[in-house]
Amino acid sequence: MEEWRSDGQAEGVAPEESPVLVAVMNSPRDFDIACQEGWYRIPVKHAPRRLGAEVLAFYQTKAFGEEGWAINYCAPIHRIHLVQRRDLLPQEANHPRADDWYYKIETGPLQRLPHPIPSRRLRRITFIPTTLARLLSAQEINDLWLGSEEEERLWEAFKQDEMEVERRVFLREGDETYLIDFAAYCRQGKVAILCGGAGPLGEGSGLRERPAADYELAAAGWKMLRFSPQQIESSLEDCLASVRQAIAQEGGLLDSAVEQSLPPTEGW
Amino acid sequence: MIRLGFPVKVLGVAGLKSHDTRRWQNGPHLSISLAYLRDILGYLRQQRIRFYRISPDLAPYATHPDFPQFHNQSAECQRELAAVGEMVRADGVRLSVHPGQHVVLNAPEQELAERARQEVIHQARLLEAMGLGPEAVVVLHVGGVYGNHHAARERFLRQAEMLPLEARHRLALENDDHRFSVADCLWVHERMGLPLAFDYLHFRCHNPEGMALVEALASCLVTWPEEVTPKVHFSSPRTATVVIEQHDAMSGRVRRRTRAPQSTQHADYVDPFAFTDFLRVAWNAGLRDFDVMLEVKARDLALLRLREELARFAPSMAQQLM
Repeated sequence: MEEWRSDGQAEGVAPEESPVLVAVMNSPRDFDIACQEGWYRIPVKHAPRRLGAEVLAFYQTKAFGEEGWAINYCAPIHRIHLVQRRDLLPQEANHPRADDWYYKIETGPLQRLPHPIPSRRLRRITFIPTTLARLLSAQEINDLWLGSEEEERLWEAFKQDEMEVERRVFLREGDETYLIDFAAYCRQGKVAILCGGAGPLGEGSGLRERPAADYELAAAGWKMLRFSPQQIESSLEDCLASVRQAIAQEGGLLDSAVEQSLPPTEGW
Repeated sequence: MIRLGFPVKVLGVAGLKSHDTRRWQNGPHLSISLAYLRDILGYLRQQRIRFYRISPDLAPYATHPDFPQFHNQSAECQRELAAVGEMVRADGVRLSVHPGQHVVLNAPEQELAERARQEVIHQARLLEAMGLGPEAVVVLHVGGVYGNHHAARERFLRQAEMLPLEARHRLALENDDHRFSVADCLWVHERMGLPLAFDYLHFRCHNPEGMALVEALASCLVTWPEEVTPKVHFSSPRTATVVIEQHDAMSGRVRRRTRAPQSTQHADYVDPFAFTDFLRVAWNAGLRDFDVMLEVKARDLALLRLREELARFAPSMAQQLM
């Protein structure tokens, strides 16, 4: 294992803009493979919408004890090949999914990040696309998301206000998946905060899951707040006041150390 | 139906790269670029965009003479190329590629011409390995004049004719904005049958023969085989003031000066009225259908905006586009 060194310069691109894929690491055996053999696998059927990256970072689950619920390591990506499971793990040639196709992500040596990036609420995460700059500066998992301009602004305001909300929560209802930009888990309920209508350079434009409609969220037990980009731009303090009020009405925020059983998270 | 497309960079979503841009020291690879391309295809699907120009640097350093360690990337990625090609075909997307400015097939220096030749062959093989049909083309300009316009045109013809069949079949020729006009490209077409990608802005900038727009467009469209939809490039000239920032080492200040734009520069967005006029010219003349690559700086954002503007200003035309 190596300590972090920043030498991943790209031609014409600031190294900090290098794309990073954060992937879940939930088995010590797979971690050993990553360390010793330098690869990680993702089933094609369950691959994230954003696979391309130059750095792979691992979100370790509770299987890793003290290192669990955090990102501690990353590695440069060398190749991404399509391989059948039987070729990846020849000792398991009789596995029921032996014929399935996987992305084999070949990496260089694992490097320890300057500091761990923990999940405050012990979230179940599958994939997060981010950048090297975010990876190196993030204090917690929620800092990794690349949001629209207004979403980023709101997130910074929440942090300054020490409001411990979660970003990018996906709500699955039957066949539909809805995206909640920010979720506040309170003692007596849940508050969903949506930044409606992303700008032209934002992540809107049909890329994200359909934002949940008011009645759908209400039916799932959420209290909903929706802010337009204009509101966030011109009346940020009013937006924050509305959020504070809603959280207070729901009994205040839950202790962040409590596991929330949040659904798995993946995003653009 | 006309497919609207955009080239290479995606601006509508943060961090969606067109290819592996790492320096050679960091070992960039086609397999990473193909993962990026797979992600872009997902974006195109969601935006219902069915025409896209891939980066010519998909396989980094693949033909660079100083880096033989990169020359085998296509062979290493046959499976991944086929998988991406399958996505492309399933979504009905047309791909094309435009090698960089350094690829000059008619260069008088043998070494430069040979490098260009290798690059064209490489690009054609990538498209072939994706299993794409003949509408996936490698678009080139005639090249440089080198003091003798006629000889330069002849040299292009000779070099192009010497390409292996697999590359020749993928090649299309585009009129440029100050050297080789539509008439020059037609001269090449008449001798070796290359299809011509009509470039609207270049035609406006360089039309020494005084051809009428409809005549130039029609003569380019008929150069394409019947079963292949022709492709056309459209862009508007930049009209905004150019602001140049210069760092003054002595004072440490940034100095800004302005200058008028050049007509050959591409605008950020498409002038929707010029675009509708252009399409009306083609339709009124009963010309065959074609796809339009929007060569604009705002890329996919410009395409999405053009769609919105056409829906507002020319709704019946908007229905004919995708």
